[in-house]
Amino acid sequence: MTATHEKPEATMTGTQPETVQMNLIQAVTQALREELARDERVVLFGEDVGARGGVFLATQGLQSEFGAKRVFDTPLSEASIVGAAVGMAVRGMRPVAEIQFADYMGPGFDQIISQAAKIRYRSGGQFSAPLVIRTPSGGGVKGGHHHSQSPESYFTHTPGLKVVMPSTPYDAKGLLKAAIRSDDPVIYFEPKRLYRAAKGEVPTGDYIVELGKGVIRRAGTDLTLIGYGGVMPDVERAAEALAASGVQAEVIDLRSLVPWDKHLVLESVARTGRALLISEAPRISNFMGEVAYTVQREAFDALLAPVGQVAGFDTPYPYVQDKTYLPGVNRILREAAQLLSY
Amino acid sequence: MIQPFTTEPIRRIGDDGTPIGDATPQHSPDALRALWRDMLRAREFDKKLVTLLRQGRTTFYAQASGMEATQVGIARGMRAKHDWIWPYYRDQGIGLALGIPIRDLVSQCLGSNNDLNKGRQMPHHFGDARFNFMSISSSIANQVAPAAGTAMAQKYLGTDEITICTFGDGATSEGDWHAGMNMAAVNGAPCLFICENNQWAISVPVHAQTASENIHIKARAYGMPGYYVDGNDVIAVQEVVQHVADRVRRGEGPALIECLTYRVGSHSNADADAEKFYRTRDEVEAWTSRDPIRRFEAYLDHLGQGIEADERAQLIQDTHAEIEAAVREADASGFPDWRIMFDDVYSDTPTHLRDQFELVRAEQEA
Repeated sequence: MTATHEKPEATMTGTQPETVQMNLIQAVTQALREELARDERVVLFGEDVGARGGVFLATQGLQSEFGAKRVFDTPLSEASIVGAAVGMAVRGMRPVAEIQFADYMGPGFDQIISQAAKIRYRSGGQFSAPLVIRTPSGGGVKGGHHHSQSPESYFTHTPGLKVVMPSTPYDAKGLLKAAIRSDDPVIYFEPKRLYRAAKGEVPTGDYIVELGKGVIRRAGTDLTLIGYGGVMPDVERAAEALAASGVQAEVIDLRSLVPWDKHLVLESVARTGRALLISEAPRISNFMGEVAYTVQREAFDALLAPVGQVAGFDTPYPYVQDKTYLPGVNRILREAAQLLSY
Repeated sequence: MIQPFTTEPIRRIGDDGTPIGDATPQHSPDALRALWRDMLRAREFDKKLVTLLRQGRTTFYAQASGMEATQVGIARGMRAKHDWIWPYYRDQGIGLALGIPIRDLVSQCLGSNNDLNKGRQMPHHFGDARFNFMSISSSIANQVAPAAGTAMAQKYLGTDEITICTFGDGATSEGDWHAGMNMAAVNGAPCLFICENNQWAISVPVHAQTASENIHIKARAYGMPGYYVDGNDVIAVQEVVQHVADRVRRGEGPALIECLTYRVGSHSNADADAEKFYRTRDEVEAWTSRDPIRRFEAYLDHLGQGIEADERAQLIQDTHAEIEAAVREADASGFPDWRIMFDDVYSDTPTHLRDQFELVRAEQEA
């Protein structure tokens, strides 16, 4: 469903330029498999990640391949999953913890914001917690409000954490490998509605996608559409619809929220004069508010219209109104039309 | 010999200093002197730091007076610079007895340039990588699950280290405490959990904290042994910690020790009038009569190794002088400027932090 327009500009260290068609969750599995094989300090754990392979099967087969010492189930406790990852990381390991749904990060929240995010800073750099927390997030799968939320802004608001969210299989693999190799704690959100829907070519060799770098999915001159994660297919469809009516929209996928690629966004908006920010998280304190502020503050002279935003609503996520809640192509097009006619 | 789940706390020294039973371990006179010295240094450290607090030289201090036997016993029961410790915020006695220099503890409390933690944390929240003494977090009990993780890493890496995790009685009410105990137990992690039960979580007494008959009994629910020790008896604490640490090190899984002690002073400067508001003078006096240092001095007398008055006075004087020198050294090192704000947030410095750094630089240079 999602076309990958990018060139693999990221570092290629493998000698085989071969690629294989796969979906996003297969790319996650491949990244985990390669990192487990590459570095014995890497371990995977969480609820059901062992024999079952995770509720979405992201870790399927990895326990039988690498053993229960490397890939294991834990008690049903987000506080202990995250907390154990913190303790392992400071003792020199590279834990990759799975939180079954991002909605369940609540019980592990203090471990993330008070321990993982703070250890390097509060100890004056004496200790650090290089861990990865992987978690499926976002809506569109008829999950109701405890299986559909987009809590990324809670974490972008906490200095010390890096926050990433891929939207393509290529990025899913490259960003996850970069996250595991990062010396900082990384919250890695996986847009669950793209797990099987997003397909694309993925190199079979080792490569990373650098954290903090966005990518232009489609070049354009009239308007910049900026999104990340689960909304990207609709953002690209909206750009195609705009193209059919003669409007050339540039599409940016942020990929990383902290740090985020401010220069890529500002350069694009300087060319197009219009910015439309799309995400599915509730609007108040949405991370895109930071992007909007930055664009109006640093590219004000280039703006031909106010910065636009399409977000989720400030309601708990509604089960029945799954599709209405999410920013869809029509809502993106309506907001784009307002900016274009301003 | 040392059994879990005893009805009464394990003791080796009576309140009057008399040895109990014939199980008293044979410490050399030097080792006994070292225990005494560590406890008295911790007591005097408290006194001097409270003075610095009253002088406005530091803004927070949590006294541990009355808990010296527990903290020194823990430190002497583990292997310094080898085992890891996830302490709680009142563990200066452990830090001192492990060998963390007074200079570094004072520097952290003053937030000076020679603070290993670069003035980031509130006073009295140490962290010292040289001693595997983990950086202290203020959130109650959130060191427990990470301690389980460190122990899991030690097992995974095949080391012979163990992890010690300390907390107060109040911490046992937090979800993280249960999560961490359970995680360590399920994974057979070499983690030794130690409750420094000083009987008060700020103004809430332990009987209002938990309906359990005591703390160590909670270990049953996690499938680990729970030991009950008199936390004002340094010999008993050290012996039990050593014994249980050996067990944990042998791969027999985690364990819990409850040290029954008492916080004589206030929780912090926020409740300086503890007696006035939430506890009785009778209770405090009952516990000060069980003072761990006086009890140990009586024990040394009993062994014919008593402390002379001038020896005691000399150690107090030396400790005060060392603290005063540390304060002078901290002052001489200066205090971190604005630049420290932006270091160590990440392993690298992202663009947005570089931009914010430049903003403050411009302010500072204006």
